[in-house]
Amino acid sequence: MRPAPFAYHRATSLEHALALLAEHGEDGRPLAGGQSLVAMMNLRLARPRHLVDINDLPLEGIEQVGDVIRIGALVRHERYLRDDLVARYFPVIREGVACIGHPTIRRNGTTGGSLSHADPSAELPLLARLHDATIVAASLRGTRRIASADFFRGAYETALEPGEMLTHVEFTLPNSRPFGAFLEMSERRGDFAIAAVAVVMEEEAGTIRKIAIACSGASQIPIRAPGLEAALAGQSVTALAVAGSAIDAFTATLAPPGDIVATSDHRRRLIAALLARALASAGERTREGR
Amino acid sequence: MTTAADRPRHVGARVERIEDTRLLSGGARYIDDIRLARMLHLRFVRAEMAHARILGIDIGALGDLQHPTRVFTGADIGGLAIKAHQDVPEFQYSEQPLLARDRVRFVGEPVAAVLADDPYIAEDAAELVFVDYDPLEVVASMEAALDPASPPLFDGWNGNVFVERQMKGGDIERARAAAAHIIRRTYSTHRQAGVPMEGRGVVARYDPADRFLTVWSSTQIPHLVRTYIAEELGFPEQRLRVVAPDVGGGFGVKGQVFSEEVLVAWLALETGRPVKWIEDRREHLLASIHARDHRHTLEAYVAADGRILGLKADISVDVGAYSTFPFTAAGDPGMAAKVMPGPYDFQHYEATFRALATNKCPIGTYRGVGRPSAVFAQERLMDDIADELGIDPIELRLRNVVRVFPYTNALGFTYDPGSYAECLEKARELLADDIAEAASLRGHPERRVGVGIACFIEQSAHGTPDFTRRRVPIETGYIAARVAMTPDGGAVVDIGLQSHGQGHETVMAQVAADALGIAPGDVHVRHGDTLTTPYSVGTWGSRGGPLGGGAVHVAASEIAEKLRAIAAHLLQASEREITLGGGRAFVTAAPDRHIPIARLTRAALRNVDRLPKGMAPGLEAQCSLDGPRDGTYSNAVHAAVVEIELATAKMRLKRFIAVEDCGRILNPLVVDGQVRGGIVQGIGSAMFEQFVYDEECQPRTVTFADYLLPLAPEIPTIEVHHIETPTPLTPLGAKGLGEGGAIGPAAAIANAVADALEVPVSSTPLNADALWRLINR
Amino acid sequence: MIEITLVVNGDRRSLRVEARRLLADVLREEFDLAGVHIGCAQGSCGCCTVHVDGVPRLSCLTFAVQCDGKSVRTVEDIGGPAAEHALQQAFRRAHALQCGYCTPGFIMTLAPFVEAMATENRLPDENEIRDAMSGNICRCTGYQGIVEAVRQAIAERIGTGAPA
Repeated sequence: MRPAPFAYHRATSLEHALALLAEHGEDGRPLAGGQSLVAMMNLRLARPRHLVDINDLPLEGIEQVGDVIRIGALVRHERYLRDDLVARYFPVIREGVACIGHPTIRRNGTTGGSLSHADPSAELPLLARLHDATIVAASLRGTRRIASADFFRGAYETALEPGEMLTHVEFTLPNSRPFGAFLEMSERRGDFAIAAVAVVMEEEAGTIRKIAIACSGASQIPIRAPGLEAALAGQSVTALAVAGSAIDAFTATLAPPGDIVATSDHRRRLIAALLARALASAGERTREGR
Repeated sequence: MTTAADRPRHVGARVERIEDTRLLSGGARYIDDIRLARMLHLRFVRAEMAHARILGIDIGALGDLQHPTRVFTGADIGGLAIKAHQDVPEFQYSEQPLLARDRVRFVGEPVAAVLADDPYIAEDAAELVFVDYDPLEVVASMEAALDPASPPLFDGWNGNVFVERQMKGGDIERARAAAAHIIRRTYSTHRQAGVPMEGRGVVARYDPADRFLTVWSSTQIPHLVRTYIAEELGFPEQRLRVVAPDVGGGFGVKGQVFSEEVLVAWLALETGRPVKWIEDRREHLLASIHARDHRHTLEAYVAADGRILGLKADISVDVGAYSTFPFTAAGDPGMAAKVMPGPYDFQHYEATFRALATNKCPIGTYRGVGRPSAVFAQERLMDDIADELGIDPIELRLRNVVRVFPYTNALGFTYDPGSYAECLEKARELLADDIAEAASLRGHPERRVGVGIACFIEQSAHGTPDFTRRRVPIETGYIAARVAMTPDGGAVVDIGLQSHGQGHETVMAQVAADALGIAPGDVHVRHGDTLTTPYSVGTWGSRGGPLGGGAVHVAASEIAEKLRAIAAHLLQASEREITLGGGRAFVTAAPDRHIPIARLTRAALRNVDRLPKGMAPGLEAQCSLDGPRDGTYSNAVHAAVVEIELATAKMRLKRFIAVEDCGRILNPLVVDGQVRGGIVQGIGSAMFEQFVYDEECQPRTVTFADYLLPLAPEIPTIEVHHIETPTPLTPLGAKGLGEGGAIGPAAAIANAVADALEVPVSSTPLNADALWRLINR
Repeated sequence: MIEITLVVNGDRRSLRVEARRLLADVLREEFDLAGVHIGCAQGSCGCCTVHVDGVPRLSCLTFAVQCDGKSVRTVEDIGGPAAEHALQQAFRRAHALQCGYCTPGFIMTLAPFVEAMATENRLPDENEIRDAMSGNICRCTGYQGIVEAVRQAIAERIGTGAPA
């Protein structure tokens, strides 16, 4: 279990990295934390002929830019857990990121790596989808801004094109303090989830002003629950605890993948159970203001 | 032998381990740390199909590599094979060629060996070897193996049963006739791998100047590997050395002779260069050995009061494609049949057991060998009987456990004294609150709590007669130790065990130190090297403490006797008056009359004119200690408390308790470590680990992302309680304990799940998928 | 082949390596650091954990060329040949190791955790300690001794740093 040969390039600037990726096209891959890519290379399931090491690029910031927070591709998972902006405006991201892998993976794994790798059960893609994040991708042709709804195309498949690299992800700041919950079920803590759900909402005087609900495990990509969101928006926060039939209406439409870990039916009903709990928990947190 | 004046000071104490400094500092040297000049690295091309004829092997692409490589295939190795045959007429003969010759029988079987002077290049080269297969029908299950229409795995075979035999005692029909209840159930345990953190590995070097072959292997059984290689290659055994360096865990997995060990030795002879093979994790999961793939149908004949009168068992094991050495394909089913009567007192028993051949990785010895599956069936059955008769499960066991020792069971095995009922009583006391909580949550809409126990015995340290009965290739289980003192008053212990985590370097030093009156730190224990240690069977079958420790004790005591004689002479006292301790020999009644032991050793080895008249120089003794005829029987009760969330099927192991009796405890630190470690492996077996094949016997779980081992957050504190019933059958009163921890957890956890959900549980694993099915059935 | 400079356990050395060589292999072969163990080569077991510029990192998921100019620390440097680091000593007392194969990875993962807790002057609860080691697999001990060793090492550091 050692990688096939490749050429290594250490990019000194974004332009340099993009030129290298443009030159090598399908044969080139950016290397950031390497937590998924190198494992796949060791198994020879991935064989990029050129690796462009982007770790020296200035993509390590979490910053507020106008009405978004902009997170660099090299921001490590652990950083979310210590960041004030994330803590203040994106409590669900913080909760979800805490579920990623284990401490060493969280210290080294990157935002760009996780989103680009697009594992169907990974946390960051789900969180991006939940928050309608915008993926910023750069290539020599210029910068593209891709809605998360368009970014994830399938298991390990994204809208990124050869020569293109994810540089940032942007999350729009909420208008008021958000509440929510992130719940996942896995065999062991830190494993990729059998299914996961996330809820984020803003309320006004006990009324749900805005709500987003997303889940993984239902499909090869994280999905939103628009019908369920619509059913709850404008309702009293107390409706969150009794959303059973709306949840069932949503999960009845799902045809999750079945595999050796869980059957399709198991995943569908698990998503329903996790949603019921996450919504109730979000409601409770809203009422208690935590 | 020792006298009453010998007061043990180190045996029984929590002595910190001598080997730890090396292991903690990066100073240990494992198999992959052996680097030799001109060494070639071996990479296997392994079968990608489960059952196929090999039509051709094309190595033409290797020319593009620009690096020198050599490739060996089945055509190059003649008849060399692993031959593991049980010498009974029912056993169908088969061999596992070191490299597949014309046919592959499981995914992962070695097909070609590629050598290069760098491991990365060897891996590149192995990818360029193209094997042309003609697929054959796959025998993928026990049902398929029993189906006469399935193709036999070996030419000349009749069907796909390696062996089917019976064991019986008493009169099962009498038990059936007398029974108030007949309870019949089928239970199964799933296939898993063993997974030491260090995989296997072999290095071999031939030195033509001395005509000497050295083989380093990450093995638990260096002497058995030596003999097998010598016999198979026709190489003089006296010129062959097998060394197990530091070994990163074994758990029985490294207790077989593997085809790779023989092949690497042969390649070193063939190429004239040192050859190294290091197993990677994928290879380990695919193609080392698997375990636990059992199905048992039990029929219990029970009296109205819950007393078991007799038991009938039908035991099938899917042992995969080949028979393993030395315990053969019959090892697992035979063990399950033998131990099924367990700790219970009944005299009518009949078992039919069979080993079924399928296109899967061979089953070999993994911690517990057959017993985790047997205890799963036996202890699930006890709960099912308790349920049917409306008797409390602990009470039912108390009515049935053996209480008078020695006890001879239906098969004629005699159990030495144990504490079966006491362990049950203790467990009941520890579980009182949990049992109450479980009862209070019956029918709860959201969550349930369940309590389950497993009561079992572990035959360990069994001696030659037990192996003779089995008719396996090795007919013994002895351990030898040689103790030699050095002129400075220290001692060297050379022991035929191999320590891969058990702490032998410390425990054997404790035993020798107590006998010789010196400190454990002054004893150097050597193991795992056939050049320095006396011939023995190696480390397996829980024999390190009782037989290894016993052999050291006997040998060291013989030296101690001589030391006392020398001391008596020099102190002008009588031998009976001398005590050894604290590095001195002294007159027991007058401790100020003493002499340092270093002076005695110097007299015996260098200044021999100081010895008593007529005494021969030297301070060396050896003992080969065979196990008792039927072994010693450790016993334990394992208890699991689980909490299950109904909506998500999330199960949490709240508590795990072991009340165990392994006879005299030599080092409590080590004993607790063995018990806890074994239990967590058993928890892994029950809840996480699962080796999955699809219908074509293609493996689905070949990385740690799919094959899930227990991690720290899922594991509770393991509560260990001891009852000490020394056995009269071993020199120190110790029984074996290495495997026991792994035997009970699957049964205890399954019983807890059945208790929590009030549903029958008949199989493992008990992972999220299984729990979901149990809740939503 | 690429020329790189590594500072390994304080010693600066330049060497030429192929791009694909894993840091684990280069430390083992070029620097003779046998305490770096490979357990799975896919980032699941933690055996190969070392520190790169002070941060625990899996050396099986790292190419040596990525570490050009960086400082790498292995278990050999943590407490010397006598294994004298407080955590190593606690491992010995609590019987936190058996075969020893996973042990260097646990030490390299947990030594910074012990430091961090000592800095915070806080004795973490058992769950937190178990989470800190959730990326390391030990197949021998059942983890309990390791949990106890970490607790003892932190307690000792807090005890000496700030009396309770």
